[in-house]
Amino acid sequence: MLNHHMQLSWHYFKQEYNQPHQRLLRWVQATLMIFIVTLTLASNTIQHYLQNNLQNLLGADAVLTQKDKLTPQQLTSLKSLSKRIVNTLQINATLTFNGKWQSSKLKAVGDDYPLQGELLTSTSLQSPATVTRGGPVAGNIWLDSRLFASLMLSMGDVIKLGEESFIVARVLIHEPDRLMEGHNVAMRAIVNKLDMGKLAFPADLIQYRYLVSAAKSQVLQLIDWQKEQLPAAKIHHKSGSHPLALFWQRTENFLGLTSIILFFMAAIAIEQIAQVHLKKEQYFSAICMSLGASNVTGVQLSLFKWLINIMVLMPIVAILSSVFHWLVVSWLSATFSEIIWQLDVWLTAKTIATSVLLFAVFHSPVWLTLCQTSVSKLFHQNQKSISLALVKICALVVLVLVAVNYSDNGLLTLMLVGSILITITLIAGISWAVLTLGEKTTQQFSGLVPFTLFMMKQRLLSKSTQILGIGLSTFLLLFTLMFLKDLGDTMGAYQRTHDGNLMVAQASQSEMKAIEQWAKESDVDLRQAKPYLYAKVVKINNQTLNEFAKKPSDSLATLSHAIRLHWTQALPKTNSLVQGKWWIKDTKNWQQISLEEEVMTDLSLTLGDKLTFIIHQQSYTFTITASHVYKPGAGSIIFWVQMPEAAIAHINAPHYNMASLELNDDQWPLLGQLWQQHPTIRMVSLQELTKQFDAILAMITKVISGFAVMIILLAIIVILSSINALEDKEKKKNSVIMSFGFLKATCWQLNIIEWLITALIIATGAIAGTYLTGMLIYQSQFSLSYQPDFLILFITLTIILSTVTLLGIYASRHSLKSSVKQLMADT
Amino acid sequence: MSCSIELKSVSQSFRNNASEKNASTITLFENLDLSIKQGQSYAITGPSGAGKSSLLMLLAGLEVPTSGQGRFINDNHTSTLDNLRAEIGFIFQQFHLLPELTALHNVALPLKLRGDKQAIKKAEYWLEKVGLSDRAKHKPSQLSGGEQQRVAIARALVFSPKFIFADEPTGNLDQHNANEISDILFASCQENNAGLIIVTHNSLLASKAQHIYSLANGELTKALSTNSVNDQQAELKQVASC
Repeated sequence: MLNHHMQLSWHYFKQEYNQPHQRLLRWVQATLMIFIVTLTLASNTIQHYLQNNLQNLLGADAVLTQKDKLTPQQLTSLKSLSKRIVNTLQINATLTFNGKWQSSKLKAVGDDYPLQGELLTSTSLQSPATVTRGGPVAGNIWLDSRLFASLMLSMGDVIKLGEESFIVARVLIHEPDRLMEGHNVAMRAIVNKLDMGKLAFPADLIQYRYLVSAAKSQVLQLIDWQKEQLPAAKIHHKSGSHPLALFWQRTENFLGLTSIILFFMAAIAIEQIAQVHLKKEQYFSAICMSLGASNVTGVQLSLFKWLINIMVLMPIVAILSSVFHWLVVSWLSATFSEIIWQLDVWLTAKTIATSVLLFAVFHSPVWLTLCQTSVSKLFHQNQKSISLALVKICALVVLVLVAVNYSDNGLLTLMLVGSILITITLIAGISWAVLTLGEKTTQQFSGLVPFTLFMMKQRLLSKSTQILGIGLSTFLLLFTLMFLKDLGDTMGAYQRTHDGNLMVAQASQSEMKAIEQWAKESDVDLRQAKPYLYAKVVKINNQTLNEFAKKPSDSLATLSHAIRLHWTQALPKTNSLVQGKWWIKDTKNWQQISLEEEVMTDLSLTLGDKLTFIIHQQSYTFTITASHVYKPGAGSIIFWVQMPEAAIAHINAPHYNMASLELNDDQWPLLGQLWQQHPTIRMVSLQELTKQFDAILAMITKVISGFAVMIILLAIIVILSSINALEDKEKKKNSVIMSFGFLKATCWQLNIIEWLITALIIATGAIAGTYLTGMLIYQSQFSLSYQPDFLILFITLTIILSTVTLLGIYASRHSLKSSVKQLMADT
Repeated sequence: MSCSIELKSVSQSFRNNASEKNASTITLFENLDLSIKQGQSYAITGPSGAGKSSLLMLLAGLEVPTSGQGRFINDNHTSTLDNLRAEIGFIFQQFHLLPELTALHNVALPLKLRGDKQAIKKAEYWLEKVGLSDRAKHKPSQLSGGEQQRVAIARALVFSPKFIFADEPTGNLDQHNANEISDILFASCQENNAGLIIVTHNSLLASKAQHIYSLANGELTKALSTNSVNDQQAELKQVASC
């Protein structure tokens, strides 16, 4: 019997294959599956690559990194847990030569370097790389090719760093322990460890790295020892995760979260298609039952037909996803050298199976309805069914599942879903208002426009669903594109209005004094200066950071490194208080902090929670008593964590400063002099920032453009589905109108007016939704103040109006192929 | 002056494209003459597939005959049937009311489209005329078949067309309802001085028409009507102007 049903399903599948609702369903499902499978495959390739990268590029079995040198005692303990140890030092320094400067990572190594792997150098930019044992001799410096070129150096040139001179001796090609900087584009240089002492850099700015050769069991002991003895230190080992793994997990999560948008659109399209599907399947099932079949037959046939439909798609999805996966990997090969594309049949199958399950949830109302179908359906065509409400509930379940699976930033998820809900309410409100008011005010008038408004008002429910579907798609597309444009524009504006064009990210007290002195002498405008110290969060409410927060987030990623802890008496002008109470001046209760709102949300922190910091090897616990957010207009130097000024008296740690300066064109060359004397001052010009930003923007543009194509594709499917859902009604309406003695031209005119009104509602709703979302998300997530360009909005309105109208009219052409004869034939 | 529709030597045939190999031409009727006058009622009967509905479409000017010609004579002025479009109304077997509109709005629909400011008032008047003033706010799904057809009659006549074409108007109704509906239909058309052309299998309904034609085997023959004795009287009653 089952076999017979399968044959029958195949027969009906072939018969219905070219029907519009089946075609649209295939498009929606295929588009989404291709996106999800490509995303999963690409992400898996990256994680796999990073894991391999970790195995090959650690340069040791384990690497211990911290800001302080190990004490002799600690070093003895470490030695007892390892076979061999190599120690390197690292600092951020600016190298200067002939009036040019370039910030770089300066590493100091000894003769025992490297521990594992190969150090490759060459004698000139063109020479082949050779394996080198041990670092440069004292007085020599090796620079990587980019640094070499940017300072326009030649072999044998002398570079002055502080009071010391270094001879440029080799070009640095590859360091085997560069794993931790795998994603860092900073230029690099190596000197001898003995020279580091002579350079007399502030001790607290040097990062100490211990490359350890150890057996697996020793590595495990080492991890326990680090947790116990050096909680602020970082340890990487071969069986651990790559430092970039979390970052890429976040990227995947972000893209996955954005797929809520795509699932949302698919839900709208499927809901529209389900209206047609339900009617046809129910009718067919009722006919079968009137011929003696049970309702199980109808369900089975429908289920098999749906499965065949999906199975037909599978090979296409698998092939296209693999092609897109290959394209993504090729694109990423610029970032990850040696990343390779590999076919992963199992993962592809698994992801397709998951997507199919989600689609089954979307489709389940059709089967549930078929279970309830009876022959009476044939007699009562207008029988009410709960199925469409069920379709909506099922779509909601799928969306929640996707959101839960991918969300790692509670605030962003909330805002994204919130924005969609606001836009839905907005579009529904505008539809109701325009159609009701339009119909009321034009009641006394006559003509095609009042008639169209009247008809649309009468069909408010079905029309609203159509408007909502297309409106949401337009909103999402608009928001995606506007965000891309505004991000670029705002950054441009930021460059012009920024508080100073040179940012000092880190200057010690003595360096800050030198900056002040230099600024005074050079007549440079020092705009702002704010003190801070480095602190690393090790515990929240007595739990380690990883125990407390399981999900990756921006906040967690930042807090896992040392953060800048600012102290202040009063609430800074750059902040506003969102909850709690700011401390009173000269408070005695110094162990309290204020945290940035997003950090609180991401880590689900509340007022009263306790954070334990390691500051200069000492542990301090603070209670959260307030939460602040960025307030634009009073400068750009802001801090995530702030404490009362009174705390400084209790904490023994080096102080640093962030500052901003405004230099005119003549003053830029004077910077070389400051940097030569103080190479560890970390300064970055806004131009450099913009350059980095442009590179990031170019990458984001590619990702968003690809995403926009997906949205456009789905938006078209939504429009076609919504028209397909109403096609029968429209056809009938047009035939009836013609039976009143009107020509087809009248139906065309009515159709054009209806689509113009629809497009107007959609455009207004989408633009208003985009505006509100911009207000909500820009500030909190990207620290951008949203200033929409009304000319652009007007142009957008016009484009949406014409595109939706034209597409709507084109897609409605079938419903205009109606005639009075069809009404007569309908018996 | 009265208006009329005239078909002269019209033939209608179509190509059967079921399969390319066996493509053949099917002729429904040939050299057929028929004259329809405003204010008169006509019934066309005949077996299924004889071409009754096609003849109706030709008379309404919605289809072009394979050969021959159709004319619309209005105030002694002759024109093609294209000019008839604004003067005709239809009544269907399946009623074809728009489900989302109330009975009142369904009736007002053709007037609203024509930009008539009195649309609702006139619709109310017509609903009262077909005995449904108390059902004005009901949607088609809340009305019985007979009630739906009354609404359809009111909708077809509300804009005062010169001709009403009805395709099996009582085909979906029981005998009692069919009698009531046909009475309303004939009375309303007569009162409105509209020509009524009914295509039907129902001999009882056909017998109420002033002129009865039978279409079978490609030939249209005039049958004797029980009302034919009243023809002259009816013509006298006919209003002179269109």
